[in-house]
Amino acid sequence: MTINRRTALGLIGAASGAAILGMPSIARAATGRVVVVGGGFGGATAAKYLKLRSPDLAVTLIEPAARFYTCPFSNLYLGGLIDFEAIGHSYDSLAALGVEVVHAFASDVDTAGRTVTLAGGDSLSYDALVLSPGVDIRWGALEGYDEAAAELAPHAWKAGPQTQLLRSQLEAMPDGGTFVLVAPDNPFRCPPGPYERVSLIANYFKTEKPASKIIILDAKDSFSKQGLFTAGWQALYGDMIEWVSRTDDGRVVRVDAAARSVETEFGRTVTADVLNVVPPQQAGLIAQRAGVTNETGWVPVKPETFESQLVEGVYVVGDATVAAPMPKSGFAACTQGKVVAAAIIAALEGRAPPEAKWANTCYSLVGPDYGISVAGVYAVIDGAIAEVPGSGGVSPADADGAFRAREAQYAHGWYRAISNDIWGTA
Amino acid sequence: MPTTITRRDAIGLLAGAAAAPLLARSAAAQPAWWQTIPAAAALVGDAQPSGQGIAIELPLVSEDGSAVDLAVAVDRPMTQDAFVESIHVFARGNPSPEVAEYYFSPLSGRAAVATRIRLNQSQTVGAVAVLSTGEVIAAARDVTVTISGCLARDDTYAATDIMQTRVRAPERIAPGGAGEVTTLVNHPMETGLRTDAAGTVLPEDIVRRLIATFDRATIFEARFHRSVAANPYLRFFVAPPRSGALVLRWEADGGRVAEERLDLVVS
Repeated sequence: MTINRRTALGLIGAASGAAILGMPSIARAATGRVVVVGGGFGGATAAKYLKLRSPDLAVTLIEPAARFYTCPFSNLYLGGLIDFEAIGHSYDSLAALGVEVVHAFASDVDTAGRTVTLAGGDSLSYDALVLSPGVDIRWGALEGYDEAAAELAPHAWKAGPQTQLLRSQLEAMPDGGTFVLVAPDNPFRCPPGPYERVSLIANYFKTEKPASKIIILDAKDSFSKQGLFTAGWQALYGDMIEWVSRTDDGRVVRVDAAARSVETEFGRTVTADVLNVVPPQQAGLIAQRAGVTNETGWVPVKPETFESQLVEGVYVVGDATVAAPMPKSGFAACTQGKVVAAAIIAALEGRAPPEAKWANTCYSLVGPDYGISVAGVYAVIDGAIAEVPGSGGVSPADADGAFRAREAQYAHGWYRAISNDIWGTA
Repeated sequence: MPTTITRRDAIGLLAGAAAAPLLARSAAAQPAWWQTIPAAAALVGDAQPSGQGIAIELPLVSEDGSAVDLAVAVDRPMTQDAFVESIHVFARGNPSPEVAEYYFSPLSGRAAVATRIRLNQSQTVGAVAVLSTGEVIAAARDVTVTISGCLARDDTYAATDIMQTRVRAPERIAPGGAGEVTTLVNHPMETGLRTDAAGTVLPEDIVRRLIATFDRATIFEARFHRSVAANPYLRFFVAPPRSGALVLRWEADGGRVAEERLDLVVS
């Protein structure tokens, strides 16, 4: 076995981390087994940093997919800017670090007996459990939108076959066609996502199918980075994109997937050539099985540690949680994963959790060379998660083209950096 | 062997004994939510409001305080002999707590409304329902209000056609049944609490009322205050005894009025 430079740095980092952690509590090192369910931005980060900081800990990551495709940057694939494999990541580097990666579907949790059951029937016991289940579609919450409808009118809100289906429909659409995106009410995964998506599809249409049209039917009266998106659309795509607010009868109440049409609240029927429904969402199934969701379908957590408010010893990260004002974003999930790793190690060592700090940075591409961003730092203030005053901000409204082009480059850098941090692949 | 009481047990027993009167006292000292809002307290008067049969729907966490979905329903029959006369909504943490009042009739069919309201901060939102029998029902819900990181929002009002209305009603209503009417009117609902760039207070300018008449008789009325969200949105029920004309009339400050007429079919 050879130790390459990256591994050597990792080992040194882990060793010094352990020494620092060990100092205040010489009596107890973190041992036992932590099971992490879900290998996305939150879960894979938690697994990596648990193992990195506490090498004696047995860390098992349960994730059905051998290769994970990210929602961030999936809009670039939809717009034809990158290949699908560019957003795929393996778990090889986590395995190399000593994380036991089990490719299976976690179907149930017994929080009293502290075991996770896999779809095959096997079960794993744990001392601490991390759930990073992401979102599930609330099938039927929007009338007419069920799993069969999603095969005709894809949601593409979980990267994978749905994303590829939507891309193939866009490619097959004739010039002069209409792409309709149905946007949900808050809260949902990735608040700027629908608006970046139409931006990059508009860019594809502009070059390949310039007579086409895009309509966003929105259940909201305002959306993420709205002023920046709207100005960018005007600058790059003229009047190709029409956004219909809830007040202007943009809220969709019924979907007819076979006809690729939708009905709005006040009775208008809108027919599409390609229909993309971003439906109402809730925490992933395993969160419900674990009993950590409340009546909203999302997971309330203790702010300091992201331990469930409802079930002791179960930590939950990512889009499934109620972490507002932190958004449901990949970057937020990643920092939550790091906080949870530190909190679990502290708990296993019998220490109080370290003070938590989180961050979010979110880039959206309005065009290939036109990026915008929002950032914020979060901490526990007066017992609740809050944005640290003055910590963040959004791109200026009056920036020039060179500024937008640099932010587009930063977006690519952002993606490489976070992918490398979590999966060791960029 | 005699039963012994350890020190810890003894303390526990003492604490248990002491706790009951303490709890009773703190319950008496802690006013009900409606007692802390003068208009709500005046409404309740000497009545002992029950909390039964009223449902308030609000998000636990709202990520946009400028338009929070709210639904209130009172599950009581709506007959000539006894019906829900009114529902009054209050938001204690807003600059003025009165949000809206809804007046029903037996031809409302159901005492249920849905709207969108403004919430200045995390707070308690309450509703008081007054029945024709004099009975009062009250309930409240806590809601957390936050602006999420990716949702940076400006409060400029973009709608162009002020007083433009939208209405939707069922194509037909079964005899004896109730149908839901959904309606919206474009209006900025200027609160009177904002200043412009020069520091001048923008005067209050809001939609004050929505009156629904069926064959010229008023069957439902809503009164709005500044805490109703821009572009007032409302869902309510009608139970027309026969086919006929439903007229909705909005009245706003500055003498502005809008009217919509719908022919309801009962069959």
